[in-house]
Amino acid sequence: MLSRVAESLYWMSRNIERAESLARIIDVAFNRTVDRNSAGRERAMRIWGSVLDLAGQPADAPEFSGPTLAIDAFAYGTFATENRSSVISCIRIARANALGVRAELTTEVWEAINSMYLFVEAQSPRAIAREGPSSFLRKMRDAAMAIGGVIDATITHDEEWNFLQVGRFLERAQMTSRVLKTHDAADDSAPEWQRLLEMNCASEPFARAQRLSSDPSEALAFLFLHRSFPRGVRFCTSEVDHALHRLSETAMGAFSNEAERVTGRLQAMLDFVQIREIIDEGPNSFATRVVERLDAVGLAVQSSYFPRVSAA
Amino acid sequence: MTSMQPLLERYARIDFYDEFADEIGTPRSHYAGLAQTLRSIDLSDFQHRVETVNAVLLQRGVTFTVYADARGTERILPFDLIPRIVPSAEWALIKRGITQRVRALNAFLGDVYHAQRILHESIVPWQMVYSSKFFNREMIGLKVPRDVYIHVSGVDLIRGRDGTYYVLEDNLRTPSGISYVLENRDVLKRSFPRLFEHYQPRPVDDYPQRLRNALRHAAPQGNSEPTIVLLTPGIYNSAYFEHTMLARRMGVELVEGTDLIVRDNVVFMRTTRGLQRVDVIYRRIDDDFLDPLYFRSDSSLGVAGLMNAYRAGNVVLANAVGTGVADDKAVYPFVPAMIRFYLSEEPILPNVPTYDCTDPAQRQHVCSHLDELVVKNTNQSGGYGMLMGPSATRLDREKFKLAIEAAPRDFIAQPIIPLSCHPTIVGESIAPRHIDLRPFVLYGEDIDVPPAALTRVALQDGSLVVNSSQGGGSKDTWILEE
Repeated sequence: MLSRVAESLYWMSRNIERAESLARIIDVAFNRTVDRNSAGRERAMRIWGSVLDLAGQPADAPEFSGPTLAIDAFAYGTFATENRSSVISCIRIARANALGVRAELTTEVWEAINSMYLFVEAQSPRAIAREGPSSFLRKMRDAAMAIGGVIDATITHDEEWNFLQVGRFLERAQMTSRVLKTHDAADDSAPEWQRLLEMNCASEPFARAQRLSSDPSEALAFLFLHRSFPRGVRFCTSEVDHALHRLSETAMGAFSNEAERVTGRLQAMLDFVQIREIIDEGPNSFATRVVERLDAVGLAVQSSYFPRVSAA
Repeated sequence: MTSMQPLLERYARIDFYDEFADEIGTPRSHYAGLAQTLRSIDLSDFQHRVETVNAVLLQRGVTFTVYADARGTERILPFDLIPRIVPSAEWALIKRGITQRVRALNAFLGDVYHAQRILHESIVPWQMVYSSKFFNREMIGLKVPRDVYIHVSGVDLIRGRDGTYYVLEDNLRTPSGISYVLENRDVLKRSFPRLFEHYQPRPVDDYPQRLRNALRHAAPQGNSEPTIVLLTPGIYNSAYFEHTMLARRMGVELVEGTDLIVRDNVVFMRTTRGLQRVDVIYRRIDDDFLDPLYFRSDSSLGVAGLMNAYRAGNVVLANAVGTGVADDKAVYPFVPAMIRFYLSEEPILPNVPTYDCTDPAQRQHVCSHLDELVVKNTNQSGGYGMLMGPSATRLDREKFKLAIEAAPRDFIAQPIIPLSCHPTIVGESIAPRHIDLRPFVLYGEDIDVPPAALTRVALQDGSLVVNSSQGGGSKDTWILEE
C-alpha cells in the first residue's frame, strides 16, 4: 500500500474521531455552563477554557467571558474555521484526506464522509446558536460514529483498516487523556466527576460497572485503566498496539519499529500501574505524562510508516 | 408549480437534424418507446426525479472542478434524464469508422517517429508535424511495445443537417468522460427501470475491465501480470473523480507523482512495505508535466527520471508520449489521407471541412468570412480559445483576425456544423438541445470499442458548445443490441 495513502487514511481516521469527541465534549460543556448562576461564571469560564484548550486552541484565541459565553464558546469550538481544531475544521480535514484516497475507500465510506461534510457545510451557525446546539451536535456525533461503523463493515480488515484503527484509537486515547488533564484538583465534587465521565461517554458504563460506589478514584481508574471500556486510555492504547503488530506481523510483546516500541512501553505502564500511584502523583500530572507519551507514539508512527523520503 | 400537462407537447422542433423525430414530428422508430414514456409522465414527477438524481450525484461526489472559478468549486456535471438512443446499425457504422481511424492514426505516429514515409511522400507536410507543439523529439526512434501509441482515445462525433456522422476531434492524449457514462447509466437505471427493461441497452459496466485488459497488453510481451497504476495530477484536477473511479474499478493503485520514484531507470512506488516496481502507467497527466527533468521543470505533478525509465523500456506509458501530434487540430485535415495511405481504404466517417490557415489563399478566405466560421486555437482544447463567428462581437472577430495573421499555424477554421438536436429537460419543459457523441476506443491486443459512449449536450438555447467547462451537460447513451 502506498505510504501516502496510509498517511491519509491515518489522518482521516484521527480527524473523524476528533470531530466526534469534540462534538460530545462541547455538548457536555454547553449543558453544564448555559444554566449557570452568577456565582457559576468563574466555573463556566474555567470549563470552556479547558475545553477549548484540549481542542488545541491557538494562542490568539479569544477569551469567552461575556453574558453569552456558552454560546460564543460553542460557536468557536464548532464552526470557527480559523480554529484548526473546531469540529468543522476536523471534518474538512477528514474529507480532504478522504478525497486523496478516494480510490482506496469503499463507496459506502466515501459517501458517509462526504454527506457529513455536505451537511456541516450547509448549516447556519447562527440558526443553530438560536435553537440550541444539542440536536446539531448529536447529529454530528451520530454521523461520525456511523462512519466508524461503515468502515468496520465494508473495508477489508487488513492493512488499510489497521491504519484506520491506529488513527482512531490513538486519537481517542489522546482525547480521553486530555479530558482527564482538565480535572480541577481543587474540585472533588460529584458534578466535576460526572463532567469527566460524561465528556468521555462513560457515565452509564461507569454506573453499571460500579453500581453504588461514589469514590472518585473509582472513576479515575475506570477512565484510565479499565481493560474493556472502549474509550478508556488503556483499552485504546491496546488497540493501537494490536493494530501496529498486525501491520508488521511482529509477535505481541516484541517490537520491530519505533512505533511499536513506544506504544509497548506505554502499554506496559498502563497495564501495571496502580490507581493509588496515580492519585499520589496527581491525576493531572499523570494524564500529562500519558499525553506526552501518546504524542511520541504519533511521531513514531509517522517516522516508521510515512517517512519523508527525498527523490533519488 | 405543478403542471399536469404532458411534457412532450411542448417539444418544438427547429431546423436541425433531430435525433428524436423526423421532419413531420413523428418519433423515429427507435424512439417510440421513449416517446410513450415521456407522454405518460407529468412534469412535477419529472422534476422530483431530477432533484433526487442531483442529490445522489452530489453525495457521491461525481463532480468536476471549474478552473476559471477561483475557489475551485466542485460542481456536478448537469445530467439530463432523457437518454439518447443509438440504433445498432448506426453504432456498427460508428464502430467501423473509429476503428479505422484509430488504426490509421496509430500507424501515423509509428511512422512520424520512425521512417517518416508519409512526410517523404509529401502527403503530410513536414512543417506541419515539426511545428506541432505536441511533436516530441524524444520519441524519434523509440520503439514502443506492440507499436501501440494510442491505448485510449475518445473520438468526438457530431451529426450534420442530413444526419451524417462527422469526426470533429480525435482526442488521443488523455480523453476523459467515461466516468459520466458509468454513473449516468447507474442513475438512469434506477430512475426508469421499466423503460430500461424495454430497450435493453448494451451494458457499459465492463469498461474498467476492458481498459485493464488493454493496459495489461500494453506491457512488454512476456510480462503477463504487470503492475499497473493510474497516475493522476491529484485532487484539484477536473477529472479527479474519474481517476478514482477507474482505479477502484480496475483494482489498480491510484498514484500521484510523489508516490513514484525512479532508481536505476526503473520506476517504483513507495509503499508501507518499501518500494514496489511499476510496469505500466496509465497516466492522466499531459506530456509536459510527466518528468520535470525533460519537460517543464516547474512541474510538481510528474516524476523525475520517468522519461529515462521509459526510454530504457522499463516502464510503459499509456498513452505513449507524443501522441498529441496526431490530434493536433492543424494535422486533423490530413487524417483521411492517412487512412488512404496506411490502410488503402476510403474513410468511413468524413472529416468536417477545415481551412488550413498556413495556406495564404485559405487564410484570406477565413479572414474575410469570420462571421460564418468557427475558429479554433490548435494549442487549446475543452472549448477554450475558440471563436464562434456568427455570435461573436465585431471586436472579438477583429482580435482573432490579427491573431491568425500573426500566427497562422495556431489556428484552423471550419464551417459551422449545426449539431443534431435531442429532447432535453429545460426548466419546466422539454426542448431541443444540441448534442455530440464521444465513443471510447481501447487499443490493447487489438482495437476494442466498448459500447460505452458519452453524449454531451449544450444546455443553453442555441449553443453549439457542449464542453463541461462551458456549461454543457451529459446524457446516458443507450446503444441497442443488434
